Amino acid sequence: MKRRYEDVSLTWIPVLIVAIFLLPFMLKGMTFSYKYYLFVLNMAGIYIILTVGLDLLSGYTGLISLGHSAFLAIGAYTSAILVDQVGIPFILSLFISPLIVGLFGLLIGFPALRITGMYLGLTTMGFGFIVKRLIIAFRVWTQGAGGLEVSHPVILGFSFNSDWDNYYLIFTCAIIAVIAGRRIGKSKIGRALMAIRDSEQAAEATGVHLAKYKMLVFFISGLFAGVAGVLFAHTSHFISTDHFDILLSIYFIIMVLVGGASSIYGAVLGTLFIVLLDFLFVPQLKEVIQGMFNIESGDIQSLLFGLIMFLFIIFHPTGLYGMWLKMKIYWKLFPFNPKKRLI
Amino acid sequence: MKKIIGIFIVIGLLVNGCGKGTSSPGITEDTILIGNIQDLSGPMKELGALLPSGSNLYFDYVNENGGVHGRQIKMIVEDHSYNPQKAVAAAKKLIEKDQVFCLYHVIGTSPCEALRPILAESGVPLIAPATQSGSMSDMSRQAADLIFHTDTGYDKQTRILVDNILSKNANAKIGIIYQDDDYGENVLKGTAIAEEKAGISVQREAYQRGATDFAGQVANLMKGGVTDVIIAGIVKEPIIVMKTAVAMGYAPNFYGTSPTMDHRISLAAGSAGEGFTSVNFASLWNSDAPSALLYNELCEKAGIPAKMKGMYHFYGFITAQVLVEGLERTGKFPTRTRLVNALETFKNWDGGAFPPITYNQNDHAGTESVILVQVTDGVQNVISDWIE
Amino acid sequence: MTELLTGLLQETVSGIALGCIYALIALGFTLIIKATEVVNFAQGELMMVGAYVNFFFVTTFLSNQGEPTIGIYLLAFGSSIIFAVAFGWILDWVINRPLKDEPIFSVIMATISLSIILRALVGMIAGPLSLVPYSPFGNKILSVGGIVISVLDLSIIFSAIILVILFYYFFNQTKWGVAMQATSEDSVAAQLMGIPVKRVYGLVWIFSAIVATISGILLAPRMSLLDTSMGFLGLKAFPAAVLGGFGSITGAIAGGIIMGVIETISMGTLSFHFEWIKEMNDIIVWIVLIAVLMVKPDGLFGEAKVKKV
Repeated sequence: MKRRYEDVSLTWIPVLIVAIFLLPFMLKGMTFSYKYYLFVLNMAGIYIILTVGLDLLSGYTGLISLGHSAFLAIGAYTSAILVDQVGIPFILSLFISPLIVGLFGLLIGFPALRITGMYLGLTTMGFGFIVKRLIIAFRVWTQGAGGLEVSHPVILGFSFNSDWDNYYLIFTCAIIAVIAGRRIGKSKIGRALMAIRDSEQAAEATGVHLAKYKMLVFFISGLFAGVAGVLFAHTSHFISTDHFDILLSIYFIIMVLVGGASSIYGAVLGTLFIVLLDFLFVPQLKEVIQGMFNIESGDIQSLLFGLIMFLFIIFHPTGLYGMWLKMKIYWKLFPFNPKKRLI
Repeated sequence: MKKIIGIFIVIGLLVNGCGKGTSSPGITEDTILIGNIQDLSGPMKELGALLPSGSNLYFDYVNENGGVHGRQIKMIVEDHSYNPQKAVAAAKKLIEKDQVFCLYHVIGTSPCEALRPILAESGVPLIAPATQSGSMSDMSRQAADLIFHTDTGYDKQTRILVDNILSKNANAKIGIIYQDDDYGENVLKGTAIAEEKAGISVQREAYQRGATDFAGQVANLMKGGVTDVIIAGIVKEPIIVMKTAVAMGYAPNFYGTSPTMDHRISLAAGSAGEGFTSVNFASLWNSDAPSALLYNELCEKAGIPAKMKGMYHFYGFITAQVLVEGLERTGKFPTRTRLVNALETFKNWDGGAFPPITYNQNDHAGTESVILVQVTDGVQNVISDWIE
Repeated sequence: MTELLTGLLQETVSGIALGCIYALIALGFTLIIKATEVVNFAQGELMMVGAYVNFFFVTTFLSNQGEPTIGIYLLAFGSSIIFAVAFGWILDWVINRPLKDEPIFSVIMATISLSIILRALVGMIAGPLSLVPYSPFGNKILSVGGIVISVLDLSIIFSAIILVILFYYFFNQTKWGVAMQATSEDSVAAQLMGIPVKRVYGLVWIFSAIVATISGILLAPRMSLLDTSMGFLGLKAFPAAVLGGFGSITGAIAGGIIMGVIETISMGTLSFHFEWIKEMNDIIVWIVLIAVLMVKPDGLFGEAKVKKV
């Protein structure tokens, strides 16, 4: 059932990029609370960088990670320490910190050579808990559980100190990440990874070096999470272990799966879907419902979020990307549509 | 497409042009809008229901009596489910979208800490953060000039508890069970100071947030021959610890920091909770302090169910009093700077429940003293004066 | 030396009690995994619902003020089990059947969103305030030669043992049990052999809901106050289920007990003698888990599934 489809035509990409760069101006024109929307978009942008990496790991290769918030945490703390305490310029840290996170990726990739499936999911979850505890233990640098204040990103003397500036920084990185993720997915590596997911034995028989590729994808996934972590630390200015909860890891995997596993665009769509749902749509819906029924409970927001997710999964188990493909096929075949579901 | 974008831009410009011309955000002719961020769906959602309800009780009372300088107080409550990132998002929404005048009573240490950059950037004051972490009134931190703390810090509380234990029994061996996060960190800070001052060493036992089993820690305290145990937990932990101790045939004196002041501890712990002493940064809700009397009267009038009444509900009530007093002093034309200045004129202000509150430019801690409350026969009784 | 030994013995006993809690939750995971290969992220929430429902029944039957009698406890217990059967059946219809032919991931995601929904829904119905749960055992304790254990813990241990024996018997000796095993090995082949696979799946969800309800009822008094965050205990029982090997009933109970004992001893004796362990005591469980998985990637009692090409 895992079929491969043609890429969306490349001409769309420059248009999309221009649209992304014009979006803040449109928002500013449209609403006086544009700063809040920019903040939400920034968060989505950071998560997109991470979920693209996670998609390569979990979607393409089928190695479940329930510990990706730990990678985010390592990236964030490494960069905060490097920039603020060692004195490395931000732009250098943007390259060095992800490498360090990548090394941690190799560390967790090592057990993954033997452990698979949900067992691996739990191993990475354990890794998440261990990292959290280590961050508190190294309180000389991290200031323990109290949290750490982080400086603004500064590139070549230009200081990014508003949501507006951060937007451009984050989305430049996000666009590069998406393109990079896409290239990796389409390359020999991506095909090898998918072969591993579909059958390890078959992949090995056709000459895919299992250990090499598994370690590689953990390293790559770590790189992406590292970039996200660096941006996370320097754009939110304050990080603590509470930021990198186990629930966040579960949310990341949900983002990838809602988008439709093993498609980079799917991961992007899924991340946008979950973040916008959580921060914009559900609060609006809550206000409407509270206006109608006069419910006072604070739980209504999470109830709505859960319900929407649930219904979405029941009716679209293949995710957003699957939906998109279905639509595409529908238009291609129009008006000769088979009644049967194709995907 | 171009047309659509063009239309959007035109609409946007129009909306922008019609922007409000009033002086300060959150202030209109007849309302003052304040923002509150609580944990409505996370581990502390119980407090998320109690604290705003208590605050609203007082706001309603003020509004009925004509409001503050003719303006009604309106409070918007957002959810952060004890996640600092969500707290930041909620604060951005309140400040940018809802345009609140000030933030008030945000719960949790790490969510409050995470708000500092936004407060500094937007100049929005945060009144009475609902955490007793001493770091909130540390004037060297970012945005410290905008945060007005009302409660005595955990570090001071621990110090006072240790002093109190030693004054009763100079040979006491003290142990402490603390939550291994920012709360515990602040408690340990106080412990270290107390240790140095008294020349003793305190046995430390850690637990993780959400822990449900304390057999190991209690066994250790027993092995260490500890006679007095300070529990730096919230509501559940002291109950389980005391029950476990009874089950192990271990009977030290138990003490708790201010989050353990809830009267349900004696309810749920039953006989195991007898003699439990907790520190409290304000008078009891059922005492005859002026605020408590008003509180009980208003509760009756509003028909607040008995199970909601208690220290946490009352805490929401009395911090609302501090905020309203600050707004009163701000005058007829409030701005955020004026609010900060007005709060800094507090000098030994007695609201009726908190010990006298003093703010000035170099000190936003508010109060420094606590009372001790002990459970006897299942009822909480005040057993001390205000201790500094 | 004897002091150290009694200390260790006491901690082992407390650890076994804690471990049986994990084992009960892990048992719920195991049942579903055994038949459908789905990891039910909402297991902790099912337990929480069970605890709330039991509380509701006790208060309903206890219309007059006073202490509940044994009769009321048994009546509430029975009613909660009936509710659990209905609840499990509904869950099968809502989650399992619509997603039967979809990737397992989708079902797992559905259970994650179910956990969010259940937490919110129970919070809305029962109100945000935590409840003081009833317990038939009170604060009673037993003491044997200096080793103490509360009656409540004892009841948890006993129920865990009884449930495991029952399920062991069920899976190995009854027709339906064997049918379930067959389904878990190859659902298509099972269907061809005339096993009503859908009904088997439904039965598994019902069993799982019953186990969750029983553990919820037993656990609630141990949590001191009952609130919806009880569901997060499900995440804590994860390592237990994994350590024993997903899908193995002996594994669930062994994994649970091992985890419980390790946790208690590392928080007790170990951190009493080694200061640095205090910082690490909650992750020792995870380190043990990862170490075991490195040696035995399918857990202690799990069977290695060979994937054919």
